[in-house]
Amino acid sequence: MTTLRILRAGPATTVQDRGRPGMLQHGISASGPMDRGAFAEAAALLDRAGGEAIEITRAGLDFAVEGGPVRFAVAGGVFQAKVNGTAMAWPGSVALADGDQVEIIPGPAGNYGYLRFDRTIDVPPLMGSRATNLVAGLGGFGGRALRAGDVLPLAAVGIEAIMANRVAPRGLSNESMPIRFLWGIHADLFRPAVRQAFVGASFSISNRLDRMGIRLEDGAGVFAGTPILSLVSDAVVAGDIQILGDGTPIVLMRDHQPTGGYPRIGTVIAADLDRLAQMRPGTALAFAPVTLQKAHEFYLSGSAE
Amino acid sequence: MAELGTPLILPLGDTGLLVRFAATLSDAANSAAIGFARQLRRRLPAGVVEIDPNLVSVLLKYDPTRVRFDQLAGEVRLLLSRPADANPGGEAVASYTVSVRFGGDGGPDLKGVATTLGMTPEAFVAAHNAAPLRVLTTGFAPGFVYCGFHDDALKLPRRSDVRPPVPPGSVLFAAGQTAITSTPIPTGWHVIGLTDFRNFDPAADPPTRLREGDQIVFEAAP
Repeated sequence: MTTLRILRAGPATTVQDRGRPGMLQHGISASGPMDRGAFAEAAALLDRAGGEAIEITRAGLDFAVEGGPVRFAVAGGVFQAKVNGTAMAWPGSVALADGDQVEIIPGPAGNYGYLRFDRTIDVPPLMGSRATNLVAGLGGFGGRALRAGDVLPLAAVGIEAIMANRVAPRGLSNESMPIRFLWGIHADLFRPAVRQAFVGASFSISNRLDRMGIRLEDGAGVFAGTPILSLVSDAVVAGDIQILGDGTPIVLMRDHQPTGGYPRIGTVIAADLDRLAQMRPGTALAFAPVTLQKAHEFYLSGSAE
Repeated sequence: MAELGTPLILPLGDTGLLVRFAATLSDAANSAAIGFARQLRRRLPAGVVEIDPNLVSVLLKYDPTRVRFDQLAGEVRLLLSRPADANPGGEAVASYTVSVRFGGDGGPDLKGVATTLGMTPEAFVAAHNAAPLRVLTTGFAPGFVYCGFHDDALKLPRRSDVRPPVPPGSVLFAAGQTAITSTPIPTGWHVIGLTDFRNFDPAADPPTRLREGDQIVFEAAP
């Protein structure tokens, strides 16, 4: 049997697959890759890929192959990868053999990288998926982040992995474009002046970001005077921009809670969520509203979940 | 029961359509959401991949490659206008008895809740269990159910601070509702007891037992 032995893992390194949709009614969000495009791009570098990836975070990951051989591909952000001390391309793919050691160290851009194999990462499926939900502590490797000493079994690829992944890869090149959003279910509760100020104001990514959500710095104080609104708890989706009582904006991401009671001014469109996920703390960003029709054009052009 | 206006049909992101029956929680709005969810469960409109009933709304997640928002909104309006299907949400489909060990280590807030309401703990437990409740929705965390509604005499706001994670099966009380946890979660609700009833089993299909609209009878464990 081929296994991967984790030698070093950055925080919040998880096993992900396409996610676990359909479970909101049971109180469980879908999880899945923070950067779906990069997740698909790594698979496209393999002739046939298992349905899962190891999602790494900025600190990277070291692992050793036991058994083998296995083909291996990487994509997402810009990391530096070495096999037995020799650099490999990022994104790129390579054949690994028994005893090979892979070292992935921080690179200049991005928060998340994807490691995929021509094998299934054989953790037990839970509710139809092998994705890890770190907030609920469910799925993946015992419902938790990977750490040094963990051993991941690899198994032959099943039929599901041969399915084409229609998600088009996206790069980091357009990072300065505004993040596009649809006005949210509570937009009408914000004063027109606040809505106007929100569009085009400069925000930045704070250092409090994880799979659940990204806290933004509101340097211009767009939401500084927003009164605390008490709302009935309602459905939440990935991309929702919620404003806490103290005026802090948070964009909710893949491990979001299934419901929430904070007002939501907008929802980031699916086509821009990957780009947002890869923005590092300190990155400046602005929001631009789009119509639902436009959002669907971007969606249908392949750049969506 | 207050009259509800016309439900709002709103986009929630680019793959969601939210049908919201009211801006605030009421028996009527929750019943309407439950009734509409039941309608959808009988026949899912084309292109809808998931439904998610909430306290006063139902979220329909759809595939934009299969249905346009306007088409789906039209179909939803049609469903909402059918009097034959209107508001079956008030009737329970299934009934469960949930046996609770009130107070003690598993219910550290019982005495405080009773005192605030001007009752003895025993009188509070009796009042709490006096009438069957309805499962209002599942949300917030895996298998976390909201049950309501208690009489106004039992209304109490949440605690001002948040307790560190409480164990699965914790019975929570606030805002005229009782909730049951299924996973360890921090909570600002009053923790009044512990039950062996388990709503959530990730290995089961479906992973939760309780559906919105089910009837819950709470009883004190012997």
